[in-house]
Amino acid sequence: MRLHTSLKVAAAVAATALLASACSSGGSGDGDGSASPSTRTTPTDPAQKIDLTYWTWAPGMDEVVKAWNTAHPNIHVTVNKQDGGDPAVTKLLTAIKAGSGAPDIMQAEYQKIPTLVAADALADITGDVSADLESEFSEGAWQSVTLGSDTVYAVPQDSGPMEFYYRADVFEKYGLKVPTTWDEYAQVAAQLHQKDPKAYLGTFSANDAGWFTGLAQQAGASWWGIDGDAWSVDIDSAATQKVASYWGKLVQQGVIDNKPMYTPAWNKALNDGTQVGWVSAIWAPGVLEGNAASTKGKWKMAKLPQWNAGDDVTGNWGGSATAVTTQSKNPQYAAEFVEWLNTSPEAAKLLVTEGGLYPAALESQKTALSDPPAFFSNQPDFYTLASQISSTVAPFTYGPNVNVAYSSYNDEFGKATKAKTEQAFTDAVSAMQTTTLDDLKQSGYNVKE
Amino acid sequence: MTTSTTTAAPGTPAPPAGRPRPADAARPRRRRRRAGSAAPYAFLAPAIALFALFLALPIGYAVYLSFRRVKVSGLGLGKNARTEVWAGLENYRTALSDPDFVASVLRVLVYGVILVPTMLGLALLFALLLDARRVRAKSFSRVSIFLPYAVPAVISSLLWGFLYLPSVSPITYVTEKLGWGSPDVLDSGWVMFAIANIALWGGVGFNMVVIYTALKAIPTDLYEAARLDGASERQIAWRIKVPIVLPSLILTFIFSMIATLQVFAEPITLKPLTNTIASTWSPLMTVYRDAFVRNDIYSAAALSVVIALATLVLSFGFLRLVQRRAFSQEK
Amino acid sequence: MTTTTVSAPAAPPSGRAAPARASGRTAGRSAWGGSVVLLLGAAYCLLPVVWVVMASTKNASELFDSFTLAPSTHLWDNLVDLSGYRDGLFWRWMLNTALYAGVGGLLSVLVSAMAGYGLAKYTFRGKTAIFNMILAGVLVPGVVLAIPQYLLLAKVGMTNTYWAVLLPSIISPYGIYLSRIYAAAAVPDDVLEAARTDGAKEGRIFFSLAVPMMLPGLVTVFLFQFVAIWNNFMLPYIMLGDDHLFPLTVGLSGLLNQGATQPAMYTSVITGALLSIIPLVALFLTLQRFWQVDLAAGAVKA
Repeated sequence: MRLHTSLKVAAAVAATALLASACSSGGSGDGDGSASPSTRTTPTDPAQKIDLTYWTWAPGMDEVVKAWNTAHPNIHVTVNKQDGGDPAVTKLLTAIKAGSGAPDIMQAEYQKIPTLVAADALADITGDVSADLESEFSEGAWQSVTLGSDTVYAVPQDSGPMEFYYRADVFEKYGLKVPTTWDEYAQVAAQLHQKDPKAYLGTFSANDAGWFTGLAQQAGASWWGIDGDAWSVDIDSAATQKVASYWGKLVQQGVIDNKPMYTPAWNKALNDGTQVGWVSAIWAPGVLEGNAASTKGKWKMAKLPQWNAGDDVTGNWGGSATAVTTQSKNPQYAAEFVEWLNTSPEAAKLLVTEGGLYPAALESQKTALSDPPAFFSNQPDFYTLASQISSTVAPFTYGPNVNVAYSSYNDEFGKATKAKTEQAFTDAVSAMQTTTLDDLKQSGYNVKE
Repeated sequence: MTTSTTTAAPGTPAPPAGRPRPADAARPRRRRRRAGSAAPYAFLAPAIALFALFLALPIGYAVYLSFRRVKVSGLGLGKNARTEVWAGLENYRTALSDPDFVASVLRVLVYGVILVPTMLGLALLFALLLDARRVRAKSFSRVSIFLPYAVPAVISSLLWGFLYLPSVSPITYVTEKLGWGSPDVLDSGWVMFAIANIALWGGVGFNMVVIYTALKAIPTDLYEAARLDGASERQIAWRIKVPIVLPSLILTFIFSMIATLQVFAEPITLKPLTNTIASTWSPLMTVYRDAFVRNDIYSAAALSVVIALATLVLSFGFLRLVQRRAFSQEK
Repeated sequence: MTTTTVSAPAAPPSGRAAPARASGRTAGRSAWGGSVVLLLGAAYCLLPVVWVVMASTKNASELFDSFTLAPSTHLWDNLVDLSGYRDGLFWRWMLNTALYAGVGGLLSVLVSAMAGYGLAKYTFRGKTAIFNMILAGVLVPGVVLAIPQYLLLAKVGMTNTYWAVLLPSIISPYGIYLSRIYAAAAVPDDVLEAARTDGAKEGRIFFSLAVPMMLPGLVTVFLFQFVAIWNNFMLPYIMLGDDHLFPLTVGLSGLLNQGATQPAMYTSVITGALLSIIPLVALFLTLQRFWQVDLAAGAVKA
């Protein structure tokens, strides 16, 4: 008798889940938010155990997932750690195309979301998440997971507002002033290099497209745009040209290095003081600790230099959202996990301590982070400052061929950094524009010239 | 297919020891069983089945994909915005007219001309030395030179990356101390040699063993006659040994050429370390970029077909020439 | 192969030998010159290996701070770190790789031996065509095959399993080519004929007569196939989503590519690389004996 009843209950729950997923995954084109009448905002648990797979490369995710699994024995999440970035996306897209092999939950960097949506890889979870989820995140973050529509494709996990990191001890040694504008930054770079010809205030990396994108974002550029039902590509806007020629001049003068970041050589430079500053994002402490542990306590974080004195705007480098894939058989429960992961206080605490991530949820930014990271123990107001900065991120729209643009950045700026002339840098921007625009048109997208 | 990312090329060993069969001199070699039995087909069945499934079928599919492309409607977001349509020869046209691709093909040919003769020359030299009399330290050298073959290309490129980057390299440390400055092999016209060096390091041992095995199969009484006549070791090596292993060398050469034309793992691992390697440095890198970075499997498929056809033409030409000599044992 | 070429060049040297030189000329000098050349080659090949050994004894900050070839004392710490990553996943990768390479290698040798024997010892219709077709497989690089192979395996739902890596690894055009040569050289036709006249079946002849004769050559095929699978990157990379199934190559590359916001785990990768070389070296040293055995048998068929 009991067995019979519980089977009935299971069937009912399963049916509801099926109904919910069927309703909510359709009609994502127009982004109708009120997807299905039967979806919920109060969490439910399935009667029988279900298994969800989660592809991510954020470190320490096992601990976070363990907390969830303990509290939800019937929704078991397994972490499959992937290579960071492009490879995981390619694997996902291949699996989507093949019809099987994709995970339930996927980590999706913000700039990849349009690509993933275009490939029909991300499920519409508008009806599966809380109705007021939008209020938990900043406008910029929310826009990147909805692409400006009412459809929710993912939930923001962490973000990377950009700041300027510098060796406070070296600055003191040479009597350098912390720059607040880019003009000042150029002056400090020149002063530093003159005092120590082996030292540089930073490097221009032709390998890190996201870094340059963030800087262009700060200057006011938005490389793609949606106008009605057409895309526009605006990489060679005045703002981007300004940023490119600024850095090109510095490299040409030789006061800024031209080598890529994240190489053994760059790590060495961080350690021995030949890289005195790093324009980076909020997750920098983790990288610095991993690569230059011997410089602990010597760095400080400041706001990114501004183009005009008195401005307060920054760009974003890195950060991802968590999405449910269209191949998931349990999108409702997957979405439940995703929401918990990115908004609950306990998950936030674990993400911060185990993963070194800076949460995108505004509430978590305040509560989960009070003490500065161990590497920056000399700067007690680290996270207060960070929280201020993260609200100043400028808006930016990513298009469906971000990878083409980034790959073009690698090649064009590789040539430019080798040539070391300002002209080469601005030429690189134009070349990027041409490549990206042509690729978009050739793929058949509706493109506005 | 056991596609490895090493460029160590397979070569042809001479057949290992068989039994001396003086009786053969007397009677002609027996023909093989001709009775139309199913036996040979049975022996070949597993290989053919696996080949069909994992090589022929994917290749066919890749060829099919090379004639297709994706058409997008409107913004391209949402469920039915992308459809796969027939593209005819468009992918091929784009591929062959892409200046970067043509440049990469030429670059890789130059790379092959630099690498293969050097690698085979060194392999031959080491093999001859291992086979020579009165040379010392043979065992140690043999194992040491073969050792790099055990290291996957991705790892060896990383290791050599550390050895190349001037600020972390022990080599530049030494050259600086000697007053020779710190050369940067990655940041100049030397990058091709840097990549070739990694492939050389990984492949010379393999080819050395292949040639050495062939040398070891030569009956030593051939040398005795020459030695009695007063020929020096060097002459014996040059006049007797090398001509005997020549077919081996030729086939090794072909396989090495094929592998070097497919160079991929070394440049792609070194790429993040320097500004001088574009994402289209070698043809296969372009294929990778299209397939894995741009998610454009169609263009990648067309490029691969072009590369495979070119390699086919080059190598089968050679293979036909030497096939008769290579398989004379069976006649 | 050597049968036909042996006779030709044997003649010239005796005729054209330089005026008789005392054999003493070759005794002392060239031997040292040759030895030095070999040792230089060995040193060149060992340099990065020495570097790896030294580097794996350093911790993260020393790696970029000290003279690269000077050893340090953190090898144990690095091993502990590496083993701690995702609860000992590295050792699982090691086992996976042994499985892929060992089982894959054995299966591959079996298939190659059968195919090589069939090609070498029989004439039949389509023989040249089949062989050329199989050999053409060498022309197609893994990068190209990876995605189509994935799409095909996905149709039967076999991606992300051990089979997804094992099955495609079994077919080896080069192994078949080698086996054909070995079969031709090592298995005399008259032995086969004798067995056939005795009434033995073809399969029995193969397994009890031919295989033992081909064994040294098959060991070589196994060794090379083992290494090829051990070092293979592209195939497992695209086939596997669950990192518990990864082989060492994919796993270690993942440690390097933690994403833009994390430092690469250099010390773990370097320590892992060192550990991954050791089994292969051990395998070589063990199987070297077979080459000795093989070579000592001496003369080729006249």
